[in-house]
Amino acid sequence: MEVKVLFFGVLAEVTGTAIKYYLNVNNMSDLRFRISDDFPEIVHYNYRIAINNQIIDGEPPLKSGDEVAFLPPFAGG
Amino acid sequence: MSDNYLIGGPVTSAVINTFIEKMAKETASGGHSIFLGQVRADEINGKIVMAIEYSAYESMVKAEADKIIETVLAEYDDVKSVRIIHSTGEVRAGEISLAILVSACHRQQAMQACTKTVELIKERLPVWKKEIFEDESHAWRENK
Repeated sequence: MEVKVLFFGVLAEVTGTAIKYYLNVNNMSDLRFRISDDFPEIVHYNYRIAINNQIIDGEPPLKSGDEVAFLPPFAGG
Repeated sequence: MSDNYLIGGPVTSAVINTFIEKMAKETASGGHSIFLGQVRADEINGKIVMAIEYSAYESMVKAEADKIIETVLAEYDDVKSVRIIHSTGEVRAGEISLAILVSACHRQQAMQACTKTVELIKERLPVWKKEIFEDESHAWRENK
C-alpha cells in the first residue's frame, strides 16, 4: 500500500521535505523504520504523529491512502 | 464553525471589523470578549525578532478548531458564538497573528470562554512558528 507522509515546522526544515510518498508500507512500525532510515536526523527532535488528522498513540494499523503527519510541538497563537 | 480558520499574513483591523459586524447581528448577546495575539519584538541572545513565519497543517487546523469551538460551546452554556482566525505566512512584530471573538449573553462567560479558547488553541492547533531576526537568521519556537 501507499501512504502520504507530511513533515511540518522544524521537521520539514531538517528533512528538506514537506511531502513524501511511501510505497509498499506494511504497517506503522515499518513506516517509522523507513523514515528513520531516510531521515536519521529526526531522532534528535520531539514530535507526535497524526494519521488522517488524528494524533495517534501506539502503532495503529495503516491503510492505503492514509496521510501520516509528523508534528513538532505546536506553537500557535 | 468556519470553513477557514486561517488567513495569509496578519489579521488586519478590516478582518477584525468584519467579525465584529457579524457579532452585532447576534442580538441575544450582551457582551463580546476579544483576544488579539500580537507578534512581540523579543530580544533573544542579543537579536531582535522582526517577524514570525507561521506554518500550519491546514486540514487538521480545521478539524481541531471545530473541536475547540464545540468544547467551548458545550462548557459555557451562555456563549452564543466563538470565532477564531489565525495567520499563516509572515507576520511582522506589532502585527496581529490570532484573533478570537466570543459572544455571550453576559460578560462573565464571554471572558472565561475566550480565555479557555486561547489555551486550547495553544495546546491543540497544529501551527508552527519560526522567529525571523534582524540579521535574517531564524529560530523555531514552541509553546510552553
